[in-house]
Amino acid sequence: MTATLSEFRQRAKTAIEDVRLQGALDGGTGKLWEMRRLTFEELPNSDALRDHFKAIRSATLRNLVEHLETFEKNATAAGANVHWARDGTDAREIVISIAQEHGVKLVTKSKSMATEEIHLNEALAEVGVEAIETDLGEYIVQLAEETPSHIIAPAIHKTRHEAAELLGRESGRSLSPDDLTTLTGEARKLLRKRFLTAGMGISGGNMIVAETGSVVLVTNEGNARMVTSVPPVHIAVVGIEKIIPTWDAAAIWLSLLARSASGQPLSIYTSVITGPSRAGDPDGTGEVHIVLLDNGRSELVGTKYEEVLQCIRCGACLNVCPVYREAGGHSYDSPYPGPIGAVVTPLLLGRENYEALPHASSLCGACKEVCPVRIDLPRMLLELRADQVAERTIPWKERKAEEAGAFVFKHEKLMRFMTNAARLAQRPFSRDGKLHLPQRLNPALERQLPALAKRSFREMWKSGELEEK
Amino acid sequence: MSAREEILERLRRKASNVEMPGAWQSQRNFPDLAERFTASLTAVRGEVRRAENLEAALVEVGTILEEVSAKTVVANNESPLSDVALAERWPECAWHIVGQSSGDLREFCAGADVGLSGVEAALAETGSLVVHSGVGKSRLATLLPPVHIALVPVSCLAPDIFTWTASRNQEAPMPSNLNLISGPSKSADIEFTLTLGVHGPKRLVAVLYE
Repeated sequence: MTATLSEFRQRAKTAIEDVRLQGALDGGTGKLWEMRRLTFEELPNSDALRDHFKAIRSATLRNLVEHLETFEKNATAAGANVHWARDGTDAREIVISIAQEHGVKLVTKSKSMATEEIHLNEALAEVGVEAIETDLGEYIVQLAEETPSHIIAPAIHKTRHEAAELLGRESGRSLSPDDLTTLTGEARKLLRKRFLTAGMGISGGNMIVAETGSVVLVTNEGNARMVTSVPPVHIAVVGIEKIIPTWDAAAIWLSLLARSASGQPLSIYTSVITGPSRAGDPDGTGEVHIVLLDNGRSELVGTKYEEVLQCIRCGACLNVCPVYREAGGHSYDSPYPGPIGAVVTPLLLGRENYEALPHASSLCGACKEVCPVRIDLPRMLLELRADQVAERTIPWKERKAEEAGAFVFKHEKLMRFMTNAARLAQRPFSRDGKLHLPQRLNPALERQLPALAKRSFREMWKSGELEEK
Repeated sequence: MSAREEILERLRRKASNVEMPGAWQSQRNFPDLAERFTASLTAVRGEVRRAENLEAALVEVGTILEEVSAKTVVANNESPLSDVALAERWPECAWHIVGQSSGDLREFCAGADVGLSGVEAALAETGSLVVHSGVGKSRLATLLPPVHIALVPVSCLAPDIFTWTASRNQEAPMPSNLNLISGPSKSADIEFTLTLGVHGPKRLVAVLYE
């Protein structure tokens, strides 16, 4: 998976020209954005709560080692097996060996970003283990052999017609796209069978709580409850930064997560798993494994990018981002799209693979404003760009052009001369105050840039005409 | 060096001690917890029935069983249900009492029309029910059947999640499985249109009694 400058530009262009996708993105993100606004209005002192939460996330990351050790101790005491994975290879090996040990052929999965990050499904398929996604949106995306395009609304890019066709093909019945109840009912039936026959359940973890060694999962559909209660074995793959020291702090996380993600005061199901079934429990899993995934996270601690680890993956920044809302999730070619993805993807999955992402932003700051942890994404986008300049990874033509531009801006006379020259040069293309450049020369793709004004601000200022106005 | 040591060692080198902020105090002051609970749960398409006492609550349960033409019901063996002779009271239904009835619990739950449970606590702000796993408490009973009926005493209502976590008994171990249930199962994954009962129950009825 990669996003070079030309790849991102091409994918974004395709997305922008797709009228249906543009409608779905506008409608979907707009609705989530509005619902978020309404629930935050109803929450007393929500600004102070977000500040408080940021302080907790920040303090936790400063001493991650202590909290992880506490978590390991308490989870182990509750009977869970804690594994450590340096990277995707480690994590895949751990999961595959547990699956093979139990002779598992079918796995049901609850939506997990971490397992998408390490391409777990593909690795399981290679050793003959089928992994079925059970979140309705993820299931539809999986049937279509695609990847999710939004953190919490993975099938935001699919229509009900496509959903009906995919689910119909799977169930061998013709399904009406206009009857969502039947459509969902069919998915329920198809997946219910899978839940009851799977040998293992795999989930991510919205967070892990150190003081009790618990894994916390939130869903609206109940699939995480299924995945962690029905099969005999449960594996949770969780990034090491998703830790919270106490339940008091976890309550803030839960309260902000659902509100930010979907404008709900709480998700429908918050499931807390603390080890396998106890003696006397009438049902539940016999074995619980927790894979703590590093994959580049510990490298970020103590750097100017540490703040990105405070993210709780609510997806709110996607909904307000003018770039995501036009380019859509697939342009980023990462499990983490949108503003958070533009920062975290290069950092975790390789800057060389994702050179375009730090530029996939207008730096408007809406992401920072809406973030429940107030993560300064615009700052880190600029840091990543600065690193590219320092490491000379941007194309030399662009670098030279920027240097020339900076030189002009620094010298007033030269600036005036260049402006006058540009005013002359634009004449053949300038109409109604807009530049009608040939497509090859137009940096703004489909839009027309405004033409340079006849008189500059400096000229207007000097002549005194501004004062009269 | 093991993966564990490698990761922890790297973090140890960079660790510093920063003071952890204390607990967040609940900012809620609802004049009537039952009212807020009812409004919140109803807003997400859950149902609330009010009853004056346990006996009246059981009459409500009977009404719902009739409404949904329940033939098979699984019931957790917990307060207040363990003191009620369910099978005698509603002999027209086939009952599985968790931990008492013979037969495969999972199979029964998968085919049951209704799951009946108590709760450990309930949160007014969000209309949430807290259920635990444990002796007599099945996870599947509140998950697999299309209808979940919960008996909720008004006395167990907490204002919100912050007061609930603050009141947590730190000495008592966490159950293997704890769920906050804040409505019927739902999804909006297809074109942002709400549908109920995707994997969990389509209907959630809380019978709130004094």
